[in-house]
Amino acid sequence: MEERLYDLIFICRPATPEEEVTKITQTLEHAATERGGKIEKSENWGTKRMAYRVAKSREGIYVYLQIKGTHGDMMKELERRLKVAEPVVKFQTIRLDEEMKRQKKLSDARAKKLARRPKRPAPEQQQTAQQAG
Amino acid sequence: MTDAQNPQGTPDAGAPSAAPAEQAAPQQPPQQAQPGASAPAGTPQPGQGQGHGRPPGQGQFRSHGGGGRPGGGRGPGGGGGRFGRPREGGGPGGPGGPRKGKRQYFRKKKVCRFCVDKVDFIDYKKVETLTPFIQERGKILPRRMTGTCSRHQRWLNVAIKHARNIALLPFATEL
Repeated sequence: MEERLYDLIFICRPATPEEEVTKITQTLEHAATERGGKIEKSENWGTKRMAYRVAKSREGIYVYLQIKGTHGDMMKELERRLKVAEPVVKFQTIRLDEEMKRQKKLSDARAKKLARRPKRPAPEQQQTAQQAG
Repeated sequence: MTDAQNPQGTPDAGAPSAAPAEQAAPQQPPQQAQPGASAPAGTPQPGQGQGHGRPPGQGQFRSHGGGGRPGGGRGPGGGGGRFGRPREGGGPGGPGGPRKGKRQYFRKKKVCRFCVDKVDFIDYKKVETLTPFIQERGKILPRRMTGTCSRHQRWLNVAIKHARNIALLPFATEL
């Protein structure tokens, strides 16, 4: 099965202690690795001001994970856990691999173009040199 | 004013038949409505015509619609005509105007910022890159305002919506 890349962001209540946040992230990471996932990135963004009110507060502790996995069940399980976790007020999972594929295609095409380009100005320079000469 | 009303009032009262009284009745209200001393000088209807002599003339220049308006409305309507006239006159007045006008409206061509930076992927997590493309109230700015190309606008839309979902950007500002 093809590999899939997911972005997972969840927001905890601002009052939750640091240990609990790390505990949740650890359990999530554990659950992901158990199901054949691989943690690409794991970042704690700390307390951030949210753009709108969630669970009666405008602040929240953001945690960001990027996971590579092969089974859709893995994300299902992670989402289930996030739903159950009490301090988590909001979460979002986004599948990124197709975006990344597209990005790679585009940047590759650009690199190819750039690689081709230097050949063109060269004859022009020669021409100008001849004119100058 | 009172003197002017009385002479007309007496013939109305003196006329016994019902038909003249009905004719007189519509004439009286305009007289009462006009507060100025010019009212007794002439009959009410010509008086109104003299007072707004110029506006009807302008109305002919502008459009036929002005003539149908009641007397009271003509004053401001005529004023509008004075302001409106130069605008309308300006168009046909300068024959070369319209052609030159298009060039005068020349604006600096907007360039897609993402194309300039050669962005292949718009990250919803980078709020700084998204904020220039939303209004203060949280609306996504249209392409015609920002100059973003269609492809990048599509990506931008998705990115903004992802960011909104996770409270990085507002759906709408709240107090």
